[in-house]
Amino acid sequence: MYSTSGKAVRMNRLFNPDDGKAVCVAADHGWMSDPTANVVNLKNILGQVIAGGADGVLMSFGSAQRLGHMFQGKDKPAVIVRADWMNLPRLGGANVSNVLPVINFRKMATSRAKDALQMGASAITIYYFIGYSDEFEAINIEQASIFAQECRKVGLPLIIEPMAVGGMVTGVNIAEILIASARIATEIGADALKIPYTGDVITFKELVDRSRIPVLVLGGAKSDVPRDALELVDEALRAGASGTVFGRNVTKAKDPKKMVEDLCDLVHGVKTIDQIFSPVEKGKKRRLRGISANCVGCLICETVCVQAHSVSFGVNRARLRIESKPVEEKPPLNKVNVCILCEACIKVCEPNALTLSEEGYIQLDESLCIQCGKCGEVCPNSVVLFDDDGYPIICDLCEGDPQCVRWCKYDALKLV
Amino acid sequence: MHTHIGKAIRMSDILSENSLVFDSTIASSIGAPEGMEDLSATLQQLTPVFDGIILNPGQIEHLAHASGGKNRAAPLVRIDWTNAYRGADFCLPVSHVKRIPMSNAQDVTDLGGSAAVATLFMGYGDMFEAENIRSISHLIRESYSLSLPVFVDIRPIGDHVSESNYEDTIQLGVSFMMEAGADGLIIPLCKPETLELIGNWSTIPVLAYSEKLISKSEFQSVIEHNIQGLVFSEAILREKDYQSKIQLLK
Repeated sequence: MYSTSGKAVRMNRLFNPDDGKAVCVAADHGWMSDPTANVVNLKNILGQVIAGGADGVLMSFGSAQRLGHMFQGKDKPAVIVRADWMNLPRLGGANVSNVLPVINFRKMATSRAKDALQMGASAITIYYFIGYSDEFEAINIEQASIFAQECRKVGLPLIIEPMAVGGMVTGVNIAEILIASARIATEIGADALKIPYTGDVITFKELVDRSRIPVLVLGGAKSDVPRDALELVDEALRAGASGTVFGRNVTKAKDPKKMVEDLCDLVHGVKTIDQIFSPVEKGKKRRLRGISANCVGCLICETVCVQAHSVSFGVNRARLRIESKPVEEKPPLNKVNVCILCEACIKVCEPNALTLSEEGYIQLDESLCIQCGKCGEVCPNSVVLFDDDGYPIICDLCEGDPQCVRWCKYDALKLV
Repeated sequence: MHTHIGKAIRMSDILSENSLVFDSTIASSIGAPEGMEDLSATLQQLTPVFDGIILNPGQIEHLAHASGGKNRAAPLVRIDWTNAYRGADFCLPVSHVKRIPMSNAQDVTDLGGSAAVATLFMGYGDMFEAENIRSISHLIRESYSLSLPVFVDIRPIGDHVSESNYEDTIQLGVSFMMEAGADGLIIPLCKPETLELIGNWSTIPVLAYSEKLISKSEFQSVIEHNIQGLVFSEAILREKDYQSKIQLLK
């Protein structure tokens, strides 16, 4: 409940009123660190972010002024203005990756709530650094309190971003610090939080439960694998988060629009992670391809195959087979045998127990199977096995997300 | 006697002959302690039995529905933040104690607070004390024109305070704050002699701060010293059957 209707109205502009969730994109990096490609191409990237359906975009005051016209329209994302500045990304003499490193950590209030409101913003965001020093935290609290008072006066939501940074922050106490700082931010007057993930669902749930206001989880550093970034969001949502603020994982993505679409699907409950990353689509037949030249024979593929299907470890029931050849033979030393979806097993199956699903993987109807074993006999790669009762064990592409492909770090398995 | 009828009305929302006030504001310093995780639920239980609840500005905004109302606890707003309550069990060690204003008189009035509560920390050194007094004096002047009562919560917890000067330090704080123009005081629940002295001397209402629940007879003896009631910390939430014990005090 808010003391002014302005806050309630603007919170509804940012958080989808149907589900109370929001996907926001942070595009304020140029305000605090080097002008990397995502900063230089901001206009183009924002175009893609808007097309992807983001609920909010965080920008500096200057960017909001220059690019605000892109946000006109009911279907466009809400504008969030970054109301402070800091030099953390450039901090430290050893930080040679920056053009101009700095020695002293500084944070300055740079815009007022009133300025952001004039800009048509639906919220402002400010940092709350905790763990660097008592003095620095006090300055942060003082600034946050002033912003909170201003925001109350003009009816603008205040998003506080607690960041555990400094010599007193360790791997041991970081979750505890984030949990405490989230509640402290609420007590000061935050209307929502933008906060890093604590690392696990249990502590993040504690953070959400104790803060009592909407929590947006940060995407964090650029992840090499998009799925990893989305899994973090998925965990945070399970802990009760109200959405996410993704920065570099969107603005530096190969396809920012697709990344935002995926985030929106996940956060607004349209698709699960598995559905988002399901490489097998209806009507589009895809199959595994083994690249023996890349295989080092680690057998992780066989192990995860068994684990994915029977919740046990071992390789004897794997639906693919790594064949090691004697060293005196010509390379490659390992031959990757996988189901190539030749459908020979389906064709030979008289009772039609084996069929091809709409999604394009082989499925077995045990009630029809007569355990004749013919499917195994015709398999050209000998990757059809049989369980103790004589039923065939055949690759089902893990129902769309083959674990062997996901786990093979040598690119010896691909979905083609 | 209040010259401002506004102040008199607001004070009467908080004070009775045996006032009970709950202080929920520790969370701005250390996060949510046990029993305070869901403050809204806690307040639903507390507001019918307490005369006042001290809230942080952020909380009163979100929990306006859970505070105030006829025959329910009046909301008081703590206007300052501190790290002074972070003990050895907190995840970050404190090397320098800080006190920062996080609200002002106009803000408290806008939030619907019946009074502002400021903290006077004693024993943290000359500069700290001077800045603390300057800040409280400013708040009192600002509140005067808005008819907003100001309670000052005297906390003699600095390292310059020892067992030998503890009671005298409380008296010094009371003297300072009466001179500064406070409308009410909150002092630690100290020795009966000190309570009696302060109760008879003070021309403004005085509440005593307690970390634990006390018996009806103990409460009665506090009241007899012209102390107008008690302020309980969140620690009472961890005491067994605290609700019925509070009911008994009324």
